[in-house]
Amino acid sequence: MTMPEQRAASAEVEHVIARFLLFGAVVGVVFLAIGVVLMAVNGISPEAATFPAFDPGTLVADLAALRTEGFLWAGIVILIATPIARVIGELITFMMRGDRILALVALGILGVIVLSVAAALGIQG
Amino acid sequence: MIVGLVLIAGGAAAGVFGSLLGLGGGILIVPLLTLGFGRPLREAVAVSLVCVIVTSSAAAGAYLRGRVANLRLGTVLALFTATGALAGALLAFAIPDRVIAGLFALLLAYVAVSMGRAGLRTSRPATVVPDLAGAGEGGAISAEPSAAEPGPQPAGRLDGPGYRVRRVVPASIASLGAGVIAALLGVGGGVINVPTMNLMMGVPLRVAAATSNLMIGVTAVASAIIYLLRGGLDPYLAGPTALGVFVGASFGARVAHRVDVRVLRIMFVVVLAWTTLQMARRALGI
Repeated sequence: MTMPEQRAASAEVEHVIARFLLFGAVVGVVFLAIGVVLMAVNGISPEAATFPAFDPGTLVADLAALRTEGFLWAGIVILIATPIARVIGELITFMMRGDRILALVALGILGVIVLSVAAALGIQG
Repeated sequence: MIVGLVLIAGGAAAGVFGSLLGLGGGILIVPLLTLGFGRPLREAVAVSLVCVIVTSSAAAGAYLRGRVANLRLGTVLALFTATGALAGALLAFAIPDRVIAGLFALLLAYVAVSMGRAGLRTSRPATVVPDLAGAGEGGAISAEPSAAEPGPQPAGRLDGPGYRVRRVVPASIASLGAGVIAALLGVGGGVINVPTMNLMMGVPLRVAAATSNLMIGVTAVASAIIYLLRGGLDPYLAGPTALGVFVGASFGARVAHRVDVRVLRIMFVVVLAWTTLQMARRALGI
């Protein structure tokens, strides 16, 4: 691939990533907005003494039942997932372009995120 | 419902200010929730991290489309900020609230002084110029991305058009520190990222701010996951606040070119100074 071709390919990749990031942010915020409306409808105050624990196992059921916490947690999960998905996209792109070093770096970032999950669950357990 | 509306409004104000002044929500969100709503500091930090992700994703999108951010450099440094964030989040549950409050007061003081000095240096009405103190914290949706100017072909893997990236190793170590601070205090880390890239690595300021914006989303994720899974994230607080921040930052981006930020900067420095005092009092238990 020539330098101009590489630059064009990079530009295209960055454009896709840019749109994805914004899309993820908007979708997450929409879910949050629905959750906030449901808070108002159900009379739930942000100052409530307790809040529902995050349980990924009940997320779909909560959404289907139109529970407030379902939409709030879904929005938060989508927002957290967006940068992760971006890194996965970068990993695939770097691999396709044969850029092994940056692909390893992207893989390393994903490894750190997996470690975060493991550390959090390990502490809990 | 009133409290919810106040949270949305507060988040929106943080988003607007952050967007216009190149600062992220964390600087404002954490004091808003702790001093304004009396929430525990760790809860406020967790909510702030979600807000950082929101604004980072939206802002990074704009910077990438405009070819301002250096994606390769951002990816390399993000490995270190994310690692630091993991460590910082674990540390956050081990150290007392008052210590975190004290660290936050120090950060606020640093940002206030930096913004004050930047304001004194600026002699003309400024459209949004990423501020060294906090640029790239996730609030700079407003910085107008411009296409990267054609220049000499980049020789190194991380170089950009017209600039060479240097001192990657020390910068990576600094990025570790940025990650730890981001996770402990609920900020984006731009306060360290941007000077690191600009002053240490030779990256142009606008590119450094844009690249930092790209990094802080991943940085915040690494620590937000820990707060989420350890039951430290309150969705009833995070929902309205993050919603407000998104609306405010988006609005700020649209009006940025019409605003003389000098006046805003002065107001912000005053607010920051007051907030610094309050957080310091909290740290000292006064």
